[in-house]
Amino acid sequence: MKLKSSYIVVAVLSVIAIAFPAFLGAYPLNVARSIMTYMALAISWDMLLRSGQISFGIAGLFGLGSYASALAVLRGGMDPMLSIVFAAAFAGVMAYALGFAILRLRSMYFSITTLALMEIFRIVMHNLHDFSGGPEGVVLPSVIFKGASPALYWLCLAGLFLTIGVSWFFEKSKMHLALTAIRNDETSARSSGVNIFNYLLIAFVITSVLQGMMGAIQVQSYGFTTPDTAFDANFTLLPLAMALLGGIHSTIGPMAGAVLLGVASEWLKLKIPYGHLVVYGIIIILVILFMPQGLFGLARKARRERSKAGASHE
Amino acid sequence: MSKLVTTGLTKAFSGLVAVNDVSFTMEEGEILGIIGPNGAGKTTFIHLVSGILMPSSGRVEFKGKDITYMPAHERSRLGIARTYQLIHPLENLKVIENVMIGAVFSRGKSLKEARRSAEAICAELGLERLERDTAQLSILEIKKMEIARALANEPEVLFLDEVMAGLNSDETLQLIATVKRIALERKMAVGVVEHVMGVIRELTQRVIVLEAGELIAEGPYETVSKNPRVIEAYLGGAA
Ligand SMILES: Nc1ncnc2c1ncn2[C@@H]1O[C@H](COP(=O)(O)OP(=O)(O)OP(=O)(O)O)[C@@H](O)[C@H]1O
Ligand SMILES: [Mg+2]
Repeated sequence: MKLKSSYIVVAVLSVIAIAFPAFLGAYPLNVARSIMTYMALAISWDMLLRSGQISFGIAGLFGLGSYASALAVLRGGMDPMLSIVFAAAFAGVMAYALGFAILRLRSMYFSITTLALMEIFRIVMHNLHDFSGGPEGVVLPSVIFKGASPALYWLCLAGLFLTIGVSWFFEKSKMHLALTAIRNDETSARSSGVNIFNYLLIAFVITSVLQGMMGAIQVQSYGFTTPDTAFDANFTLLPLAMALLGGIHSTIGPMAGAVLLGVASEWLKLKIPYGHLVVYGIIIILVILFMPQGLFGLARKARRERSKAGASHE
Repeated sequence: MSKLVTTGLTKAFSGLVAVNDVSFTMEEGEILGIIGPNGAGKTTFIHLVSGILMPSSGRVEFKGKDITYMPAHERSRLGIARTYQLIHPLENLKVIENVMIGAVFSRGKSLKEARRSAEAICAELGLERLERDTAQLSILEIKKMEIARALANEPEVLFLDEVMAGLNSDETLQLIATVKRIALERKMAVGVVEHVMGVIRELTQRVIVLEAGELIAEGPYETVSKNPRVIEAYLGGAA
């Protein structure tokens, strides 16, 4: 009963999301794309966080995807759509190789290393002048779909849908048990047969594929990129803030956070340029101090208290 | 063939030898007591056998297979399970999920099958309302959940590290009866660490005694408890 109604809500929201280009102009569609990109990154960041691993490397994999896609088209003459698949796979392969080194690390050491990797990728792109275009970056011969706003919107939406789908699968499959067990207590997890390294590797590769894919979609939609745009630290910071605000360890939390912060920042951008970044900073601090479980965490807690109160009245 | 054999098993923590040259065997269907004063090395011994710690030297064999350096998750698949003296509930998972996890990852069951077998195990232990958070459980229920989680691995060898600690005598009696019944039903070899000698006497057919990491005595509880060295070890610890 409850399940059915939530399926209906999902279906209705999906249809509305798909139909947006029918009644929105180019500017709002652009804003929507930016929010959807951040949303997908926020969800993918959260997926790894469910294992307890805090990555600061989102921008690194996003940028890697951007460059892999752009360079595949520019230097390899690859079809733009295919280059998105290629870039996602490339990010996955890189994550797989790097995973063997960094997934032995925990907490702060893991986080700092992912941050450093992002910086390394950026510097490499800066300095490979002949191949990557150096600091000036790369310009593609054309934007995908000839730059038609609705098509670009749907492409981004497809990336987002895929991300949501994978995240939902993580929540409903044994990945949920494995990642939560690893986060809560690695010793217990091992005693129950969980191959910790394998599950961390799977989660790291999959989330990296999604982040690389979003980077590729982004670069194909704008037709150019530079090391400083592709590896912009905002691609790490904003998704993080969104997930924290909405509520971590879920799919719905980062989504809600992305909508709230995304819309708020567009509005603020118009009012005070760069003011939105200050607001992000303040939100991160307030959320961490006062509601570490985010908005959905608060809702969950309230529901639990109510059901507990109800139970004791029986 | 013996289920579990250790030969000269030794673990040193930078100077302190917590387990020292311990050789023992465990047979199918037996309930073995592991006793000794605080700090004797009982928990460390279980860590070594279950793969949570790797030994400094010596050997561990499971049904004739050398598993000395096998990772813990592989041992749990092979059939060695244990509970923890310091409880380790997975607080972001429901009670049922805490139990299911071994069935999923050690036994490779689907979520549905795992849930069904976890429910059966919990019913056997008298653990109810499985959709609760672990924070809502009493001590007895937590202990039962830990046992249930170990049983979900469908082990051939099970170690219980002070599961009765913190329970009152009624609860202890109830749990002893349950453990005995389950061990018998499944023909498991069970290693029980307890400080309450009444529990050891009730549950076990054979006892090994550790002191400062060394195995100092072995035999039925009645004989071992009269062993002067054992009495000395306990009195020495108490004095
Ligand atoms: N990780 C560790 N590092 C250093 N020393 C340790 C470690 N774990 C245990 N020890 C030491 O090894 C010895 C044996 O400890 P262990 O926990 O195995 O004893 P125990 O017999 O289980 O005691 P208790 O009855 O109190 O549970 C103790 O002296 C303990 O301080
Ligand atoms: Mg102990």
